[in-house]
Amino acid sequence: MLSPVASVPIVEPHPEAIRAALEQLRNTGAVLRQCPARPRLTRLASLLDGWADPNSPWRRRLLSALPATTGFAPAAVATGLELALKKWNGAALFDLVEREFADPTACDGEDTFSARGFPVTAVSLAGCLPTPTLWNLLAPLVLGSPVLVKPSRGDPITAELVAASITELDPELGNCIRIVPFPSSDAPSTHAFLSADCVVATGSDATLRAICARVTPPQRLIAYGHRLSLTVLGPQALRGEALTRTAEATAVDVALWDQLGCLSSIAVYTVGTEKEAGVFAEALAASLTAAEKRWPRGPLPDSARAAFAHERALAEMRAAADPAVQMFEDPASRWVVVCEADGRFRPAPLYRFVRVHPVHNLAALADALSPVRSHLAAIAAAGFGPDTSRATRLLGELGASRICPPGHLQAPSLGWHHDGQPVLLPLARLTDNELS
Amino acid sequence: MKVPVSERTELENRILAWMRDPCWSSDETRFNELALELFALQYAQCEPYRRFCAARRRSPGKVAHWSEIPPVPTGAFKEFSLCCFPPHTAQRIFRTSGTSTQQRGALYLDTLTLYEASLLASFTRCVLPDLLPHELMTFLILAPSGEEAPDSSLSYMLDVVVRKKGTQHSGFFVRSGKLYGEELLAVLERTANAGEAVTLCGTAFAFMHWLDGCVRKAARLALPIASRIMETGGFKGRSRELPRSEFYALLEEFTGISRGHIINQYGMTELGSQFYDSNLRYPGLRRRKLAPPWTRLRFLDTTLENEVAEGETGIIAIYDLANTGSVFAVQTADVGRRVETGFEIFGREVSAEERGCSIAADAMLAD
Repeated sequence: MLSPVASVPIVEPHPEAIRAALEQLRNTGAVLRQCPARPRLTRLASLLDGWADPNSPWRRRLLSALPATTGFAPAAVATGLELALKKWNGAALFDLVEREFADPTACDGEDTFSARGFPVTAVSLAGCLPTPTLWNLLAPLVLGSPVLVKPSRGDPITAELVAASITELDPELGNCIRIVPFPSSDAPSTHAFLSADCVVATGSDATLRAICARVTPPQRLIAYGHRLSLTVLGPQALRGEALTRTAEATAVDVALWDQLGCLSSIAVYTVGTEKEAGVFAEALAASLTAAEKRWPRGPLPDSARAAFAHERALAEMRAAADPAVQMFEDPASRWVVVCEADGRFRPAPLYRFVRVHPVHNLAALADALSPVRSHLAAIAAAGFGPDTSRATRLLGELGASRICPPGHLQAPSLGWHHDGQPVLLPLARLTDNELS
Repeated sequence: MKVPVSERTELENRILAWMRDPCWSSDETRFNELALELFALQYAQCEPYRRFCAARRRSPGKVAHWSEIPPVPTGAFKEFSLCCFPPHTAQRIFRTSGTSTQQRGALYLDTLTLYEASLLASFTRCVLPDLLPHELMTFLILAPSGEEAPDSSLSYMLDVVVRKKGTQHSGFFVRSGKLYGEELLAVLERTANAGEAVTLCGTAFAFMHWLDGCVRKAARLALPIASRIMETGGFKGRSRELPRSEFYALLEEFTGISRGHIINQYGMTELGSQFYDSNLRYPGLRRRKLAPPWTRLRFLDTTLENEVAEGETGIIAIYDLANTGSVFAVQTADVGRRVETGFEIFGREVSAEERGCSIAADAMLAD
């Protein structure tokens, strides 16, 4: 039996209440930043250690609640959390702080270089994946900035659980978090929310453009746009034992979180012949069959159901017209693999719909990805042997902010340069002190 | 396989007769007969469609009921030239919206007779049910004219409506890609003072843009009671998304037109017929979309083989006899359910927020 969670202040979704909460948080933050940074970091590091432990009450609470609210299968949530959180521990937090600020004491503001959090940071969450929520709540606190959080419609519980875990560990830090749920169409509340000194927002490019128009200097906006991830395989990953291993690992990248995270692979590019692409597509189909048994796909919302069925029917029609297009699918349509005739990027309806494109060489890959290069997040790559460094250089040039082996897309390190940006630095006000 | 031209013309004449019949009787036998004949014709004339049907093991000889005819996904209108005549002989090509770099869907038409007959029959019955046959209406349109947007099916449709049912005061207020909101406001103020009822037509997004201008100018209108609004399309991919109830509340607030006089049109470039809300035709009853009798809808499960149970939501497939020259069975990317004598659609307003930080790549390619 799990103990009840600590209560977390929920702000009334009303513009005046939101402004009052921001003001209250500014006052709390001023007190927080008077205290030395290292003890605060130590407490946050131990919080991460707690979340990294599969047996911690917080992980168990999340595991028991998330499937019901998001529709993800319990086994998929358990594997997804384990994969993502095992490297997110206290030591990783200290490493990150040292990488970006050289020393945690930089957060105290007494050195030649200092970093302070903003008086208050508003965090607007999107999607239904829990791990970005955990980090987005924690990161401003590292710098001593209190947080006002707007949870996403897709995951109304993780923010509250994370806030409660912070309160349980340290009520003073917990007092620096408020949660305010309101729909994005509530313009007056949105306006009030965006009056925070620093705004962290995740959303579509259109949403971010609208936010950008409202958050103006000296306010700080840290925007994370919608992104996609891919798998790129060289010849050595497409043959022999490596073929099955790579297909199984790619199935993990596709199946976990049902392709709803920006780190889910939505297409595979095979550098080789069309025949090799077809063989890999078939192996991936077999691996997705196994993945479906282990981590059943969650239910699809209406609009996604129609988009998925539409793309599937279109692939069926294209396969009927062109023998070079092959479609593999689950009998109940719970996953689809389409082996394309060419490298041209095509729509992806998500929810375990993946395309396999053959490209003859890396130059052809660059051409194929040019329409989406500004939206690339991560690329899982394997099988390039002696050409690995040339391949990774090209993938970086294409705009990927992370390159990793297949099967690891959903497990970025705490220090991942999301959207190619530093992790903590954008959340900080920096001071160069030439007097000391 | 060639089908004699006279065979298609004869079939079209029978469909046309149904469209011109004011009774709107939903005759199942009549629909089935016409649908099976049209399927045979399109199977013979349209190569990509024939291959698709063959892959699903459906052919005219094996199909006894219209519901067994395979619908093509709307995206197929982007991938293939789905027409039953040489494309270069098309009188008109309507294209789906999109940027110049995007592949756009195309509906090829070698005759506009059925298209016009279908649109006028539905529009007059659902948007102008209180108008006598000889009466005209002033249409003020928040969309470009057909001359300005020759490949827009909506502009063509509104052109036809203005030509057949519009007064001389009717006009288009999107010109050279710009919405002339103040000019529209001035015309509306004049008509309001004169007590002349008007019909405002346009896309939901154009209305929102216009309403933003009204908010800035603090403009409020009290249009005559018989005035109405016909809006179409959604906010998908736009920076501003609004639930339809809030959108209608804003329209009501700024125009004085009650929500009972605001109706939504559900249509798509790929189809020759449109579907309208029932509230002007059947005031006081539950709002639903009305389907003209020469169309049928199926609500399918994700396998696309079976219909969902009565009252459940399913993926909408539309069978539209107005599509004689292309493919008349079309699977949409929309979800809906049957309601009484009509249907409801869902999902056209869903924000990308629900879908996570990964986004369907079609949305990215559209940026």
